[in-house]
Amino acid sequence: MNSKDTSIPAIRVLAPTATAMRLSRRGFLGGMGIAATGALLSACAATPGTSVAPAAAAAPVQLGTELNFFNWASYDDPATVKSYTTKTGVNIRLDVYNSNEEAIAKLGAAAGTGGYDIFVPTGVYIPQIAQAGLLEKLDHSKLPNLAKVDPAFLNQAWDKDNTYSVCKDWGSTGFLYDTKVIKRDLKTWSDFVDAMQNEASGKTSIMDSPNYLAGLYAWRTGMDWTSTDAGFLDDVEKFILNDVAPHINAYESYPGAALAQGKSALMMCWNGDARQGLMAVHASDPERYRWVLGAPTTELWMDNWTILKGAKHLDAAYSWINYVLDPVVSYKELQFTGYNTGIAGLREKAKADKLPLSEMIFFTDQQVATFKSGALNSGTDRLVQILTKAKAASAK
Amino acid sequence: MIPALPAGLLLTGFFLVPIGFIIFYSFGYKPGLLSSIGVDRLSLDRYGEALNDTFLLTFGNTLQIALLGTALCLFIAYPFAYWLSHHVASRYRSTLLAVVLVPLWTNFLLRTIGWQIILSGDGWLSKALMSAGIIHQPLNILFTRDAVEIGVVYNYLIFMILPLYVVLERMDPSLRQASRDLGAGRLRTFLQVTFPLSMPGVVAGCLLVFVPLCGDYITASILGGASANMAGQLVAAQFLMAQNWALGSATAVVLIIAIIMTVLAAGAGLAIVTAVLRAHRSVTLPGAVN
Repeated sequence: MNSKDTSIPAIRVLAPTATAMRLSRRGFLGGMGIAATGALLSACAATPGTSVAPAAAAAPVQLGTELNFFNWASYDDPATVKSYTTKTGVNIRLDVYNSNEEAIAKLGAAAGTGGYDIFVPTGVYIPQIAQAGLLEKLDHSKLPNLAKVDPAFLNQAWDKDNTYSVCKDWGSTGFLYDTKVIKRDLKTWSDFVDAMQNEASGKTSIMDSPNYLAGLYAWRTGMDWTSTDAGFLDDVEKFILNDVAPHINAYESYPGAALAQGKSALMMCWNGDARQGLMAVHASDPERYRWVLGAPTTELWMDNWTILKGAKHLDAAYSWINYVLDPVVSYKELQFTGYNTGIAGLREKAKADKLPLSEMIFFTDQQVATFKSGALNSGTDRLVQILTKAKAASAK
Repeated sequence: MIPALPAGLLLTGFFLVPIGFIIFYSFGYKPGLLSSIGVDRLSLDRYGEALNDTFLLTFGNTLQIALLGTALCLFIAYPFAYWLSHHVASRYRSTLLAVVLVPLWTNFLLRTIGWQIILSGDGWLSKALMSAGIIHQPLNILFTRDAVEIGVVYNYLIFMILPLYVVLERMDPSLRQASRDLGAGRLRTFLQVTFPLSMPGVVAGCLLVFVPLCGDYITASILGGASANMAGQLVAAQFLMAQNWALGSATAVVLIIAIIMTVLAAGAGLAIVTAVLRAHRSVTLPGAVN
């Protein structure tokens, strides 16, 4: 049990900020690493109560001492978690997952008895999760900081009126390349494919996630990447197996997090992951890696705070969400994850502060106009098959 | 009967019941996007889906990596176990054995990721070799089969050393002395006395390395990247990514059967070789068999 339920402040002790930066947003490895740290920790700290935070300072509502997260790995700044615990006396325990599908299936099987309070699904999955009766309707009166969210990120198509969710952060997909290997300017997904087939052949990584195969195929021409049309999926398969798989050296969802290891020369990645990587290598070699936001079209995703039905720590869950919606806290989160948290005014603050690589966090309106949301649909099964075949083909 | 009860309970609870679930689920299907398994109508359809070209290709890959890895472990572990059991004073042996076990205290995954850092082209090993003039290009091992085998040897060597050490340590030295007294050289003593007597350890070690290795995909995916695709990954992808427990279970069952058949084939091969050798030797050295 302990290897799964990990107290975040304790992680910070074992994994200093530099390491934490390298742990990833949705990293399988990051998650496992944290789980492992937890196991180590539970072995070391056998005395119960050693990690219990200071007693609650005059909190207006009795929040209790516990809050259970079901979240992507390393998706909150450990400093934020620690300051929240210090302020409220609520200890946060974290369990991680690697994909929306995995998380939803687990929650569905537990039917509200999983013991989790907070869950962070990607927006397009919310209607189905809500329909399955897994989500608590949010009481907006307990979230005064909802007013701090930029209206552009409220009332999304998949959750009108924010009945179930509040934006945690949002981002997009592009790629990083090593200018030592690729000595020309890359600008689009077509350039990505061209470089992959030429100077970066055998040195290119793509996401270890089925939907991105359709993305890579469709974004180059602005096609709908969520199509479930059999002809479209056949074309994706042909393209991935013949034109992509032979050139891939790794299927990796967090290449940016391990950028300093120099494993690949061309890497498909999320903007926040890319930024974390660039921040880590920037001091030693600022010119080596270059970030390109996918074009002519690319992904748009938004991850969201939700509260699960059957949550045992409702007040604490509201207090946490309200806490991270605070602009000061949110700005710290944004700097840690490299993703736009959707709070109004942060873009201006970052500009005034000359926040490094802020163009990777804040996109222009023209850029956002080219972003397209993914979908959870019947195409996913077929895409998993294609991914499996692609991996076998790459290993030939 | 009573002494067997705890073992029986353990086997039932942690092996038979789970494997029963896997077999049962393999006849099911995936009912919808948000649910993982349905068993209200059973069929063999998932086996048709599991047994495709991708599986065969991937299983071939897995066999190559696992067989080579097992052979490497044997070649490295045997001399070490021999040295430890025959040439180290007995009072130091348990200390040395404990030292060999120390890496096991660290999480498997962390140890493997550690190698990723060592083997990377920008890593310290590459830099050290370059500055020493041994190589002139950055090390290009990570994400290749070579990196996988390094990881395999590192992660599994201990499971080969332990059984070998146990048989070699218990071997009566007088048998080897007798062999030499009868005129056999060092090599012949090893080939005809020591090695045959250590066969139980060799077989146990090979099984302990080969079987888990066939199901391990972590070492391969961390160090081999896309160059090493293991059958375990197929199972994991179905369970975790596709949330299709039925197909994942069917793939797992097919994998289990394929591994059992491989082991049985190897066992049969070994039995034939042993029989031939015995027949051969009983002619040249009558009365010296066993």
